[in-house]
Amino acid sequence: MKVQSARRRCLVGVAFLLPNIAGFCAFTLIPLALSFMMAFTDWDFLRRNVFRHDPLQWVGLGNFTRLLVDTQFWRDLGNTCFLMIGLPFAIAGSLGAALLLNRIGGRRCRTGPALAAATLVLAASGLVLLRGGMPETGVWFLFGVLAATVLLAGVLTRGSVYRTLFYLPHFTAGVATYVLWKKLYHPTSGPINLALNPLLDQVSSAVRFMPGLFSIGLPLAGAAAALTLVAWHLLRLRRRWDDSEAGISAIVTGSLGPAIPLGFLLARLGLPGAASAAVALAAAALAAALISRRPRPWGPKCAADAGLGLEVALALALIPLLAILLACVVIGPSLPARAQAGFEAPDWLGDYGSAKPALMIMAMWAAIGSNNMILYLAGLSNIPQELYEAADMDGASPRQRFWNITWPQLAPVTFFIAVMGVIEGLQGGFEMARTMTAGGPAGSTTTLSYFVYTEGFETGRLGYAAAVAWVLFALVFVLSLLNFRYGNRNAND
Amino acid sequence: MKRVLLASLGVLTVATVILHRTLPAQRSAVPVITWVTDDDQVRHDTVALFGRWLAENRLPPVDLRIDLRDNTPTGPSKALIQGVSGVADDLTDVYMNQLEPFQKAGILLDVTDIARARGFGAALTYPAVRSDLEVMGRQYGFPRAVDSALLWVNRATFARYGIAEPPSRWNWDQFEEIGLRFVAAANPPGSRQRVFFLNRVWLPLLRRGLGLSTFNETMTRCTLDDPRNVEVLRRAYRWTVTDRLLPTQAEQYALVSDATGFDSSFSLFASGRFAMIYEGLWALIRLHPRGEFQLRVVEPFTGGFPNVEVGSGAVCVYAGSPHPELACLFLQFLASRPFNLLVARSGDSMPPLPSYARTDDFLHPPHHPGEAGVQEFFADTTRDCGIAASRSPFILPNEVFRIDREEFEEVLAGRASPEEGARVAAARINAGIALNLAAEPGLRRLYRERCDVQERIAERRAAGRPVPANWISDPFHLAYYRARGWLDKGGVP
Repeated sequence: MKVQSARRRCLVGVAFLLPNIAGFCAFTLIPLALSFMMAFTDWDFLRRNVFRHDPLQWVGLGNFTRLLVDTQFWRDLGNTCFLMIGLPFAIAGSLGAALLLNRIGGRRCRTGPALAAATLVLAASGLVLLRGGMPETGVWFLFGVLAATVLLAGVLTRGSVYRTLFYLPHFTAGVATYVLWKKLYHPTSGPINLALNPLLDQVSSAVRFMPGLFSIGLPLAGAAAALTLVAWHLLRLRRRWDDSEAGISAIVTGSLGPAIPLGFLLARLGLPGAASAAVALAAAALAAALISRRPRPWGPKCAADAGLGLEVALALALIPLLAILLACVVIGPSLPARAQAGFEAPDWLGDYGSAKPALMIMAMWAAIGSNNMILYLAGLSNIPQELYEAADMDGASPRQRFWNITWPQLAPVTFFIAVMGVIEGLQGGFEMARTMTAGGPAGSTTTLSYFVYTEGFETGRLGYAAAVAWVLFALVFVLSLLNFRYGNRNAND
Repeated sequence: MKRVLLASLGVLTVATVILHRTLPAQRSAVPVITWVTDDDQVRHDTVALFGRWLAENRLPPVDLRIDLRDNTPTGPSKALIQGVSGVADDLTDVYMNQLEPFQKAGILLDVTDIARARGFGAALTYPAVRSDLEVMGRQYGFPRAVDSALLWVNRATFARYGIAEPPSRWNWDQFEEIGLRFVAAANPPGSRQRVFFLNRVWLPLLRRGLGLSTFNETMTRCTLDDPRNVEVLRRAYRWTVTDRLLPTQAEQYALVSDATGFDSSFSLFASGRFAMIYEGLWALIRLHPRGEFQLRVVEPFTGGFPNVEVGSGAVCVYAGSPHPELACLFLQFLASRPFNLLVARSGDSMPPLPSYARTDDFLHPPHHPGEAGVQEFFADTTRDCGIAASRSPFILPNEVFRIDREEFEEVLAGRASPEEGARVAAARINAGIALNLAAEPGLRRLYRERCDVQERIAERRAAGRPVPANWISDPFHLAYYRARGWLDKGGVP
């Protein structure tokens, strides 16, 4: 009787699970297995489908070896990696937003909704005035009132309005936001360039007025800032080595961070590519050697890969910062000549050089107010208040509170966000590129997922597209493994 | 819980039954066939006329319904994937570059025999559009409309800036000369350029003007590495980047919500920001809702050999249609007098039967006096200079188009010289041909045969002897050889 009852319960349980299992098998497991098999065939859906039944040829690793020499694949992999440079900044932005919202959420004010309603009434009045024929100033009035509404309602309703506004990009349909950004990026009528142009006009006037300041001062300032940044970075590396927080792998990786922009700078200044790379590598090797040959006076020996995750993340953040500063060094001397004709705002989506950064900025904007921010908010609310109270009693400054309590306590959240960010970054970019640039100009915004789409659905080569998709999976898998291995996920244990 | 599940199952079953009973095929007393096309008045008139034509000819009644065509960039891929999956509509509009992949996938019904029997063979329509209906001598559809792309001139725009309109036939130098004067007059010095001379150039057309096609005579090899293509790329770069006669693609893209820039040309042309646009007669469909204009058409400027590219909007029958016989009736209807008169009266494309393009209904439409002479110019130019697009059986045309566009963008972005762009485009297309030959044994025999023919053509040309017309597969080369008197009079294709 008991056996029958147990079996019956088991069957009922399976029956409950069956729809889910069937759906998983039909839409995930079987397609996954099929795509894996497809990757080793020459399946072209133009030749093998419901109507045509050409024999399927097993090509072994042919598709994989082909993509090794496919320049399009490497170009698109490069584009995908470039777009991921924004990841550390997006994470930092999410954390910043969460910290701000958390602070605002700490205050209480019961009059908030009433004040917000009053502001809305004002905004409505502005709208009526505008409708009644009020000229352009009415628009500015309206925007002003709306901004005041957001400010008041946000502050006085404990940040819930801000939370909604910050989260808005995440639950707005992707294509709608892409279309919006496309309008924002319009070279002549987009608000971004409309705002930039007067600023650039002023800058060009200033450059014409004081050419020396910009042709000499800007490169010097850029160089000084870059050197300071590099010096700070190397000193930090040295301190981490001394404290046994960083192993040799972390030191080498950390040294490579500043070397990469240096290599590009040398190439830009006219040195051959190979020589630039050699000099940059030599500089990195020298820095790593100088740091790692120091004895560790206080700390015990640590593993070679200790602290690697943090150094990779910092290097990723350092590279674009240094690139911007070194760009000042390169561009500075030619600024007065360029200013004669006036500076023009970039053709964001139309220029080869600016299309990728334009998409990256947009992706960062979307990522700052996404689930990442919500996760950080949840993480912040889980930090025990006693830690902060103890820190206050010890006289810790806000900066010390952040670096010694908040940041380590949020490490698991940061780790999760970084892992998911890498996965989404490698897989993403298709909708964005398809909607905004069609992968152009000259393929500069074609990502790997776009490449898979083109190969699979435009030329019909499903086998090859599946191979690319599996290589993409392998990349995601390896990076996730590295993240798990070297990520600082357990810092609060 | 079990009851809830059972109740849900019951509701779903009932909903399925209701859904099935409300399907058009279930509710209609006569067989339903669907046609994937645009949703406009002419299409609705066509459907109504088809019903009357069936009744007048005592043919079985059919309930023909329109299924809206997806005009987004992903539309063709979507249609192809639906087709190979067995779920496409009975009739579908097939445009440029779609016939070959659809035919290759086997999703189009071969109507050669039934067309011959029912009198709608490809011979009835313009010789230049036969390649839009036939693949390897087999017919797969019948044109709903025939069109060629010319340059539309907005006369008011030229008058506004006091620039003389271009002549009906002109060359590259005249284009540059008038264009430079136009952009100088239309854009005040020191301001950002807002007015352009022309919306786009069509590279195959420019090449043909110099006597060059995308492929060789037998379409076995891409010839874009020819110095004439280098010259075309150099000129196109100059017109776009240096002289600014044309906008960059991105400048157009930025104005519209999708990434194609498809609809922006018409609004910019209507508002006077493009003096000319390169489009077919169908442009009237887009222009009429924007107002009445003083319009003229001129031939595209060439480098010496006058030519225009002719194409058709063909209607094809889906191979998986449950009513292929009835669907073929619609193709038969497209060759009928009532339908051709309907197209002639609409005035926004040429009727499929050439004789109807000479009727008063087509040549002198009564409602738009500002367009006088437009239709006649289209009819004459199509007859005199119309040549079909070059499409090799060894590589899909959409792949050729994509590669050509990408390499042109590389040149426009300054990342490749014209020489490099031409060389890489040819190399990539030839690599695509090699890849297809390796994957498809059936193609290899045809390829070898054609390569033999190509050698014989080269020998004859070297010896200064004429070449039989049936040796030449590329429509441009055929027209070019004919115009140069290089064809063997005895050789009949």
